[in-house]
This record gives sequence, C-alpha cells and structure tokens, in this order.
Amino acid sequence: MEKLEVETFSRAMDICIERKVDFILICGDLFHVGIPDLAVVKEAVTKMREVREDGIPIYAIYGSHDYTPTGTSIIDIIESAGLLVNVVKGRVDEGKLKLDFVQDERTRAKLVGISARKIGLESKYYEILDREILEREEGFKIFAFHSGLDEFKPDYLSQMETVPISFFPRGFDYYAGGHIHDRSENNLPGYERVVFPGPLFTGYARDLERTAKGEKRGFYIVDFDDKITGLEFVEIRLVNGVYFGYDVTGQNSLQAQKDLKEKISQLDVKGKMVVLRIRGELSGGKTSDMNFPNLQEMLLQGGAVYVHLNRFGLTSREYTAIKSAGEDLTTIESRLFQDNIGSVNVSVPGLQSDLGAKLSQDLLRSLRGEPKTNESKRDYEVRLRENALELLQLGEVLED
Amino acid sequence: MIVIEELDIVGQVIAGKVASIFIREKSDKKIELGDLLVAEEIDESYLILQVYNLAYGSQIPPLVRELTAGLKLEGYGGSLEFLDPKLRNYVLAEVKAVARVSETGVRIPKVLPGFFSSVRHLKKEDLRFLEKPPNPVYFGKVRSGSKILDVDVYLDGKEVFTHHIFIPATTGRGKSNLVKVLLWSVLGQNKFGILVLDPHDEYYGRNGKGLKDHPDAKTDLKYYSSKPFAGANTLVINLKSIMPWHMDGIVEFTDPQLDAIHLCYEEHKDNGGEWIAAIVRGEEVEGVNPRTLNVLQRRFKTIFGLWVNERGDLLCRNEAFSNSAGESTTSDIVQALEKGKIVTIDTSRLTDKAELLVGSIVINDILSRYQNYKGEGKLEDKPVVSVVIEEAPRVLGIDVLQNQGDNIYSTVAREGRKFKIGLLAISQLTSVIPTTILTNMNTKIILGNEMATERHAVINSAAQDLTEDDRAIASLDKGEAILSSIFANFAVPIQIPLFEDYIKGAKEGDKFSLRKEDKVLFR
Repeated sequence: MEKLEVETFSRAMDICIERKVDFILICGDLFHVGIPDLAVVKEAVTKMREVREDGIPIYAIYGSHDYTPTGTSIIDIIESAGLLVNVVKGRVDEGKLKLDFVQDERTRAKLVGISARKIGLESKYYEILDREILEREEGFKIFAFHSGLDEFKPDYLSQMETVPISFFPRGFDYYAGGHIHDRSENNLPGYERVVFPGPLFTGYARDLERTAKGEKRGFYIVDFDDKITGLEFVEIRLVNGVYFGYDVTGQNSLQAQKDLKEKISQLDVKGKMVVLRIRGELSGGKTSDMNFPNLQEMLLQGGAVYVHLNRFGLTSREYTAIKSAGEDLTTIESRLFQDNIGSVNVSVPGLQSDLGAKLSQDLLRSLRGEPKTNESKRDYEVRLRENALELLQLGEVLED
Repeated sequence: MIVIEELDIVGQVIAGKVASIFIREKSDKKIELGDLLVAEEIDESYLILQVYNLAYGSQIPPLVRELTAGLKLEGYGGSLEFLDPKLRNYVLAEVKAVARVSETGVRIPKVLPGFFSSVRHLKKEDLRFLEKPPNPVYFGKVRSGSKILDVDVYLDGKEVFTHHIFIPATTGRGKSNLVKVLLWSVLGQNKFGILVLDPHDEYYGRNGKGLKDHPDAKTDLKYYSSKPFAGANTLVINLKSIMPWHMDGIVEFTDPQLDAIHLCYEEHKDNGGEWIAAIVRGEEVEGVNPRTLNVLQRRFKTIFGLWVNERGDLLCRNEAFSNSAGESTTSDIVQALEKGKIVTIDTSRLTDKAELLVGSIVINDILSRYQNYKGEGKLEDKPVVSVVIEEAPRVLGIDVLQNQGDNIYSTVAREGRKFKIGLLAISQLTSVIPTTILTNMNTKIILGNEMATERHAVINSAAQDLTEDDRAIASLDKGEAILSSIFANFAVPIQIPLFEDYIKGAKEGDKFSLRKEDKVLFR
C-alpha cells in the first residue's frame, strides 16, 4: 500500500512536470502522520526536489494529519529545506487574525490560506479572521483550506465537524480545499469555485472501497490568466481495483468460508487492488473460525497487488449484541467482560467467570499502556509483551 | 382567625355567586380590572380572586343623584355635597375565584369566600406555590391589574413544549418579544431542540439584540440564512433532499400532477435523486403528458425560485435550494435539534411556500427519527423538539386543511405529542384554526386582541374557564398577557419583560484568544 501511495505521488509530480505547470498547491495531509516513515519521506522529498529543480514552486498548508505533539512536523522540515512554501502567513493583531498573501512570482497569483488544526480547532481561526483585508486585495486570488464545509459535505459525512463557508473571505477566484476525500466542484454566491480534489490515492478503508469500485482519484490543473479559464481533473490510476462484497447471512462459518473461497477463485485480480468486504450474521460458528489470512493469501497468489479486507459488519449468531452503561470506562469494561465471559468456552479455571473477567480487564489495561518518554518502539513492544505474558502467567511456559 | 391588617384591606365581599362575586371597594383604595385579590379563610387557606368587571354602587336613588348633578352643573348648589359620600357612593368589583390555596396544595375553588369577608391585594408570599420547575421556561412576572409582582412564572418545558404552545395576538402586542424571552430562557439548557422558522429574521438578533447575545449562543444556537454573515450557516437545501411527501398539504397539486411527481421521483430516486431538477429542466417522463410536465415545471420554478441559465446550470433566485450544495443541511439541522440546540432559520427571503417546505423537510426528518427512537425505546433520552411557526393558519387553517389535506404541521399538532414533538404556533387569527387543533394546544399565551371573534375563539379553547375574561383580554396592554395552561394552577396574568431589559446583565460568552502553541502557525 505504502509503495502504491508513493508511486501515485511521484506520478502526480511527473505529470506536473510534463504539463509544465506554473506551481503546485498542496492543501494539507501530504503524509498520513506528522512524523511519517523516513523511507516514505525520502521518496517524497526526492520527487519534490526534482519538481523544484524544474522551476516549479510548491505551496502548501498544514493538514489535520501534519501535526506532532512537539509542534514541529515534517512539513516544517521540508519547508526549511526550501522545497515548499507554507502559504499561511500572518499574525494576530488586536484580536484579529491578519493573513498575508504569498505571491507566486511567475503568475502573480496571490495565495493565502488557513491550516487545519486538531479536530476542527481551525474554526477558531476563522472566527477571528480579518476577511475584509483579504477581500479588498486586487488580483488573482487563491484561498487554501483544509476543512470540511457545512454546505458541501456529503450527507454521509453529516456527523463530521465542519465550518460554514461564510467564514471564508468572499470573491476569491479559487478556493482550494483539502480534508474531504470526495472530489467535488462547488459554488455558492460569493464563492465561485470551491474545489475538493480528494486524495491522490488513499489509505483508508472507505476510500479504498470507493476507489476499487471505480471512483476516480487524482488532482486538478487550473488554467488562469486574470480569471480562471479552465479546470481539468487529471486522473491517476496506477492499478485497477476489484471490489467484492459478500454477505454470509444464513451460512455457518464453514459454509461461508467454502463458498467465499470458490467465488474468490473466479475473480480476475491479476495486477489489481482488491477490496473484500464480508458482512452479515453467521448462523453458526464464530467469526474467528473463518480463515481470513487464507483468503487474502489466495488473492495475492492470484496476482492481486494489494488486498484490503473489511469484515467490520460481520457477526455471528453465537454472539448477541451487548449493551452496557456505567459511570466510567473502567466500570463499563468490567461489566462487559463479566457479562460476556460465559460465552467463552475454556477449561482453564483462571480464564473462567470472575477470574477470567478480571484477567481480561487487566490484560486490556496493560496492552493500552502508552510508550514512555524516549522509549524506543522495540523496547515498548518488548515491555508490553512481557507484561502481558506475566499477567497470563505464561512467561515460563514460553521460555521453556 | 382571619387576620388581615386593616391597612391592607381593599374591599369586602357583599354578594354574588360562583364566578360572579361582588366586592365593595374601600373608599381610599383602588381595585383595577384584572387585579388579583385574596380572601383569607379561617383554616389559613385562602382564595385568589380575579377582578373582571367594575361598576359604581350607591345608596342614593338614581333620581336624586341625577338632580344633584344637575344642581351642581347649572350653578344652583356649588357647595352641595352628599352626606357621608364615602359611605354612600362606592365602586363594586365583580370577581371570580381562580384558585384556592391550602396546606394540601392549589385547587380549583369549589367554595365561595366567607360572606362579608375582607379582601386584600395579592402579595408575593401568596404565590409561593409558583415554584421554578426542573426544566424551566420563563414567561414573565405575575401581574395583578397593572401592578407587577416580583414573582417569576415558569412552566416545565418538557411538558409545555410537547403539548404545544399557542400565541394568539394582533400586531404590536409583543409577540416577537415574548418568543425571544421564551427562547432565551431555554437556550443553553440542552433539553429542548427548537426549530424557529423566522420570516422576519428577528429572533437571532442580526441587527440588534437577540438570541445571539446569550452566553451559550456559540455552542447551542445555530443560525441559517440564504444571506449569511461571517460564521453563520448558509441556508441551502439540496433538491435531492426534497421528497414528494414533503409537499403534502403545503402545495396543491391535481391528481395528474401528483402522478407525474411520483413517476418522476420513482425514476430518479435510485439514480441520483434529481427528480426536481429533471422536472425543472423539462425532461420527459415516460407515461406523463408533456402538458402536465410543463405545468409542473412552471410551478416548481415558482415554488423553489429555480431557473436554468444558458449554460444549462440550475440556479435558484432565493439561493435556498441547490442541486449541488446543501446535501447535509437537513441532517445538520436535525442533529442540532437532537442535541437540544435552537436552530433559527431566516426565511425572510423565501416565499411562503418555500418557507413552509423548508420546515416540512426538517420536521418530516425529525418526526421520522423520533418515531424510530420510540420503537427502539430510546425516545426518553431525546430532547423535546418544538417548532416555532408564525402565521399558523397557513398550515393549520380550516380552509387549508380542507382543500389541501393534512400537512406535517397539522400532523405534529395532532400526533406530535406522542413523539415528544410540539408546535409553538403564533397567529393573529384563532377563529380559522379548527377547534380540534386548538384544544390540543394546551398552553396559550393570550396577548391583547381587539377583535371579539378572535377573543371568543381563544376563550373557547383555553385550558381554564376564561368566559368572564373577554373584557380583560381586550384591555391587555403591550407586554401584558394571560397564561392559560393545563400545567398552570390557574390562568395567570403575566407581564412579559422587555427582551432588552430581560437580558441585561447576561454574561458574555467566552472570547477566543489564540493559544500560545497555535501562534506558531502564523509565522
């Protein structure tokens, strides 16, 4: 997956070079996390340097994933290296957020924007934004943002925290949006072109599913002089997708496994990204009885370049829905374990009834432990494993 | 032992019967129309009496009085005076008992005050039973005649909102002020989701004081307008959110037109849902006469303010409907209501029909959700929802219901209570609303009304017997009202505070200041 994502980014940059674009604007979330895997960073930076060496400036704003607890993210480092320019410049003056435009030398386009903040905190910036100054500015103007907008969010995202478009300065030529993973071109009076290109590729389950179903992913190339003269969506499709949905309802785990294997074997997955969605209620057996790694392996052997398995909607009749209420998380968890421990069929007394419930809760608490300051990932994993084995009293057994 | 301080006595019961008790006014006291008086009883209980008529009384025969007046007027007896005038001439107040307060509580009075008993004006302490309920909605202060007592009147919002509130009044009697006070008092409680369809854009306070000045407005008040100011939500509803049944009883269609609508809807519902856009664009529908489609196209263009430009884009004059934006507007509004927020929708730029349709879309959605919650046993946890609708006869009028059938507003008026949804209906005309609906509106805040027909319609459907209050209602001044509710012990005369005075001293909401760690973003 990571490889596909890097390749997609490279392909987008190549297209920009081929098409001789004047500049590139990235509206946040260049990476999935604030401090990404350095191998991925290396690939991205190499490509960006290539773009810069071709005389194409890259502008960007922070996305919601571009933050780190320390406040310095990889975007800052890339900016320090001169590979991109953060267009969010400004200051808070007498309670007003006054933003400065960044002007692109070649096109004279004026760029300004507001970065995302953790879960919707950016709306606070919009509240104090001095819109008037921005609206008064002459010339070709672009407003970059990384937020969902109340007016343009799809209905299925209605729970998402978004901001109203009235927070934005009016009369810009182009509103470049990030954060929303659906492509859309929108307009409202005062906001002529509000465009969300969606991700170049995607790493999330729902996006993968949509991509596999054929949704186009890519970016926009905008032609303009004084005004916009053209808007082109450039699709990037490195691999084709296959989506396969399967409802297990009415079958037990063995039947479902067998039928699934048979159906999957008939799919043409060679060179494709496969999204397998299994849902429904098994009439018998447990969900864990189904051998999912085996299904994934089958698809990979069939030539699939990537397999994503979604079994979120899969349940079994052997489990019933559990509702629990309590004053705090610990109480709720304790009740859930106590209510459910009876459905676990084990002969070891320590795993049964109250003892089993307590052990489960202790184990959960232990596995939930945060890494210590300066603790390496490896040390953290070792510590978690040792603690868990100690709780389960399996340390000596495994050592043997 | 009845102990009324001599100085407090304003009159004495001298005659009468149930609902028509006569009191002689003490010469140096003034009893006003609408005054609340108290007649105490020997067991420490007392009756609250309300004055509904005043008349002169005299021990001197009319002919003598007429002659005496003539003599004075014509200059024959400048110094002529009656013997013991305070004793012989007086004022008679006609009163009715509205409540009996005893150790066991407040009851509808079934006894007369003691014959010849003294009466005094009502005091604050007499109304100790008017306690602040757990989910308070504020209505004003108790009024006795034109005197305002320092006693706040609250009712429990969970009860009054689900059982509907009706505000009948003519223009200029303080309807908007009342609604603002009422909404202000519940804002921030998060127990009531209130949808306000605001055709005059007056509640939010876009230009002046309003709900936006409430300390909790930032979190618990949402404002939608097709011309939003910075930070407000754009009122834009996606045409795909509109279903044929949203127009039931609001827009009148012929049978062939209804058939065409349903056919077109069926054709598009699983295919993008753009059935309204298809009709406006003049697309053919299999099995529908093109002439019917032409009529529908014209009507839809008028109702929604739609038109198609030369590029083929579908545009909306009032900007409230769109075929691209506003997909989640209805869900957003409904979610806010479910969180117990107040949602005001500025419908001042919309036509009547469009305004009612916007309301219909939202109410249909929330009603359907609440019906589901009831089925799932989750309704108890949900806040009560109320819909503020002005000029209620547009949807609750007898002729509208007869000609166009039921609409979502009348459905809520009749059945909403079961699902914790109520109406707060405002109207100048009461007589045009069916009695079946009026009697379902269990709280009425009656403001002044000079039209006898309208007063009678209100009186006939009030929660308490207001037969004798016709004159009192006619004489209600601006801001004065009678609160008649099945949740009140008696029809309480109230003085609604001026909104600007009521909100004085309200704390300001938290001001935002940029956090230190955020300053790094704007280098």
